[in-house]
Amino acid sequence: MELERFSYDNKIVKQFGIATIVWGVVGMLVGLLIASQLFYPALNFNLQYTTFGRIRPIHTNAVIFAFVGNAIFMGVYHSLQRLCKARMYSDLLSKIHFWGWQLIIVVAAVTLALGFTTSKEYAELEWPIDIAITLIWVAFGINMFGTIFKRREKHLYVAIWFYIATWVTVAILHIVNSIEIPVAFWKSYPVYAGVQDALVQWWYGHNAVAFFLTTPYLGLMYYYLPKAAKRPIYSYKLSIIHFWSLIFIYIWAGPHHLLYSALPDWAQSLGTAFSIMLIAPSWGGMINGLLTLRGAWDKVRQDPILKFMVVAVTAYGMATFEGPMLSLKNVNAIAHFTDWIIAHVHIGALGWNGFLTFGILYWLIPKLWKTELFSKKLANIHFWLGTLGIVFYASSMYWSGITQSLMWKQFTPLGTLQYPNFLETTLQIIPMYMIRATGGLLYLSGVLLMVYNLYKTAKQGTFEDNEAAEAPALVKVEDPFVKGKRHRWLEGKPIQFLLVSMVVVMIGGLVEFIPTFLVKSNIPTIASVHPYTPLELQGRDIYIREGCVGCHSQLIRPFRSETERYGEYSKAGEYVYDHPFLWGSKRTGPDLHREGGKYPNMWHYLHMENPSSMSPGSIMPAFPWLLTQNLDTTTTVAKISAMRSIGVPYPAGYEKYANQDLNAQADSIANDLMKAGVPAENNKEIIALIAYLQRLGTDIKVNKQQVQK
Amino acid sequence: MFNHYLQSIEGVGIYPIFSLLVFFIFFVVMLIWMLKADKSHLKKMSELPLDKDEDSDNNYSKINSGKTKQEIMNNRNKFSTKLGLLLFFILAGSSFSTLSAQTTQPEGITQSYIELMLILVFGITLMAFALLFYFGMGEKKKEPEFHPFSFLTKIKDKMMGAVPVEQEDEILLEDDYDGIKELDNRVPPWFNLLFLITIIFAIYYLLDYHVFKTGKLQAQEYQEEMHAAAIQQAELMKTGAFVNENTVTRLMDDASLDAGKNIFKTNCVPCHGPDAGGVIGPNLTDDYWIHGGGIKNIFHTIKYGVPAKGMISWQTQLNPKQIQDVASYIMSLHGTKPANPKPPQGTLYVKPQDSASAN
Repeated sequence: MELERFSYDNKIVKQFGIATIVWGVVGMLVGLLIASQLFYPALNFNLQYTTFGRIRPIHTNAVIFAFVGNAIFMGVYHSLQRLCKARMYSDLLSKIHFWGWQLIIVVAAVTLALGFTTSKEYAELEWPIDIAITLIWVAFGINMFGTIFKRREKHLYVAIWFYIATWVTVAILHIVNSIEIPVAFWKSYPVYAGVQDALVQWWYGHNAVAFFLTTPYLGLMYYYLPKAAKRPIYSYKLSIIHFWSLIFIYIWAGPHHLLYSALPDWAQSLGTAFSIMLIAPSWGGMINGLLTLRGAWDKVRQDPILKFMVVAVTAYGMATFEGPMLSLKNVNAIAHFTDWIIAHVHIGALGWNGFLTFGILYWLIPKLWKTELFSKKLANIHFWLGTLGIVFYASSMYWSGITQSLMWKQFTPLGTLQYPNFLETTLQIIPMYMIRATGGLLYLSGVLLMVYNLYKTAKQGTFEDNEAAEAPALVKVEDPFVKGKRHRWLEGKPIQFLLVSMVVVMIGGLVEFIPTFLVKSNIPTIASVHPYTPLELQGRDIYIREGCVGCHSQLIRPFRSETERYGEYSKAGEYVYDHPFLWGSKRTGPDLHREGGKYPNMWHYLHMENPSSMSPGSIMPAFPWLLTQNLDTTTTVAKISAMRSIGVPYPAGYEKYANQDLNAQADSIANDLMKAGVPAENNKEIIALIAYLQRLGTDIKVNKQQVQK
Repeated sequence: MFNHYLQSIEGVGIYPIFSLLVFFIFFVVMLIWMLKADKSHLKKMSELPLDKDEDSDNNYSKINSGKTKQEIMNNRNKFSTKLGLLLFFILAGSSFSTLSAQTTQPEGITQSYIELMLILVFGITLMAFALLFYFGMGEKKKEPEFHPFSFLTKIKDKMMGAVPVEQEDEILLEDDYDGIKELDNRVPPWFNLLFLITIIFAIYYLLDYHVFKTGKLQAQEYQEEMHAAAIQQAELMKTGAFVNENTVTRLMDDASLDAGKNIFKTNCVPCHGPDAGGVIGPNLTDDYWIHGGGIKNIFHTIKYGVPAKGMISWQTQLNPKQIQDVASYIMSLHGTKPANPKPPQGTLYVKPQDSASAN
């Protein structure tokens, strides 16, 4: 048994660790800012770069990809080396991975503020960054698999199964959802439209939660929790069952984001059914984590690291029960588009992802710097601040979500809406927004304590870039592929493991996509629906740029309360030319799908200039730059061509007179505005936006009021 | 069905009643268990040595020193009896008052339902009281190994299927992953049961909605909801509960005019000015009306709007009474002198001589 000597790369772990902490603080600060903008709109600063619509995606991308992302890499690089008893395959790839990822984050923040966005949640970054992400992800994969191949530990520990599944699934999700056709360096359109785009987006979106926020963290939990508790994992068998069932079932659950929408019924039902079946596999992780602490519960009382981890795993269990409950149609009917969903997200994000990250950091940093944690007391205070923060956050959002939803749905005894003015429902929950921001502030202050604590810890310790290690060389012994030991066989075969995982995760997507794309009857055509005019297309792109989809939905559900308020409910065929779809996820403001023709042009002009002038008390930020910025019509030709290439039936050669049509329509709107006494110029961006808003929902011309009369 | 139920505010009172019941029962059960639990068992658990030599001040045997077991039992019995009485009154009182608050629910909860709840709560409280008395009174001759609800513990152990911590070494797997080891505990039976139940639910769900078509899909749910609403509207129409542009009369009372004034201030000022002198929309205080004056025309204009001209339809935002109020208020402004009045627009409105007209 010859002992080989090598060293673990700790420097890369340190770098990812520092990045985790830095971006965590940044991401949470942005979160605090947007939370405050909702009750104090002056914090939009009247600048286009700092409106809620533009910076909300900076918050989501920062906390998911920068904070959680770097934490994943920190944990994977640290644990994988030791579970494989091998140094990372390539130091160069490690460096490329690290610096490439940080560069992506910086570029993301800048481009999002500038309004370069696809509008698709957690996939907002435009196509050049998408390519960069793919390249870096491949580098990470090569590095990870290279390490696995040169391992000195034959069998792959459960944490590595999760890392493998994470890597391959994120790759598939990212590539499929990012298939877009560029029209300019920072602008593209997805090849998918309407209902199909919605399905692909939420297959991606939900599985970003599954395979970026869950599976890698389960892998990290399987390493760091037993390490911190010094206890064995409760059940190897359970880890097998819940791993495979989780990665298989999770994929199918995407449509639960699209219940009561224009998505075909069968797809919605699959989403619900599989979300319910997901309870046990998810809880398998929770159980294995918590039961590993059998015999060590007395330690939890003393150790802040274990406290963080226990609450993290418990929050994971809560969120993965709430999720399936929210996937039931009747619950979803109340919760969709409200703050309830936000509450659900943040229990998972602050509780599971945040707390597990903190637990790992508190355990790992002292280890890396070969010292003790600077202050256990501060860590305990952080724990309580964070827990209190989560409670404030979640309970206020539960209250506001349910209140607003019930207000939307309530009818008077005479059969009209009790709260026909949407703004009234928003103003009712402003106090809850303040409480939520307080919760976030508490949570962030705990994190700042952690920053101080870890900084002092590092200062009092010594860091070694490379940690000497030794292990016997791998003895190649073939495992028998026999009943009862089949999984053990697979644990020794990383390539087969990768391939089996890949097949397993692809099944759900294929079953849901193929019929939606190929069976025409899933998206019934509506003859009167026609493509956007060039001016409306430009206006739509402005809507996307300003992030309007962050507060306004475009999806009227088949409920009487919604058709009373907004008009006929939304049909699949209306969205066939929507690249991307703009159904939205949240109604901080009203649904806009039938906005066309509801208000005169002049109302929209004045409203965008200053929303409070038309809606007193509105929290919507002002968009005065739309009135002064010239519309860039040089992009019209490229946009029409691109749209035609992805299936929108503009006539051949239309590009030649697209701008003529654009100008004619702009003139007509500008004249109308001037007649109404508004000093409009026909070449400004506001004209395009008004054209788009006035077009919304008018194609089917079946308006409830018209029907009744 | 369930969808409609949750969509209405009325009848939602069942939930607080239900949760009160759940909490109440849970609380009572916990209380009984706590008071009856084997004290020596609790003592043993709290004195489990912590890791190494951490806090050694958890020495519970120091407490209660000097008293015999019998004395402790007697004190406990007296205490638990008093506690039981106190709790009975608090719980009974609070549950009664909560439930009587529910009696103001006119729909969804019938009177008999509330009475049933009251009986149940009182019944449970009485039972709890009785149990406390039974277990709380008298002296115990010996200290039996009495674990109340020990059958629950047995069920729990069976459902967990866990090997006791003390016997872990028997199921410790050989692999060592950087110091992490794994146990070979079986997958908990309750987990398998849960998984099975959710799979059965999922199969049932898909069959119900898509094979047997016994479940209602969203389009059908919507149709039924609209149908029910149409029936309700038809009933209300018959009773004349609605005001429309054909039946509307001008209101003159202060309450309606005040309401109308508030509606005007909230909705009409941006276009018609704070004193109805006209800004983007016309002056509403003079004799000239673009779409006809008089209460019926004004009601009609507000309700349906004039989209081509920029006047919004308000019928989705204001109910008929509200439109009647604000129309009446506008009529009350006739002849007032706004600060910056727009010149007259439209045609001179002459009140019809027909005595059947509303004004």
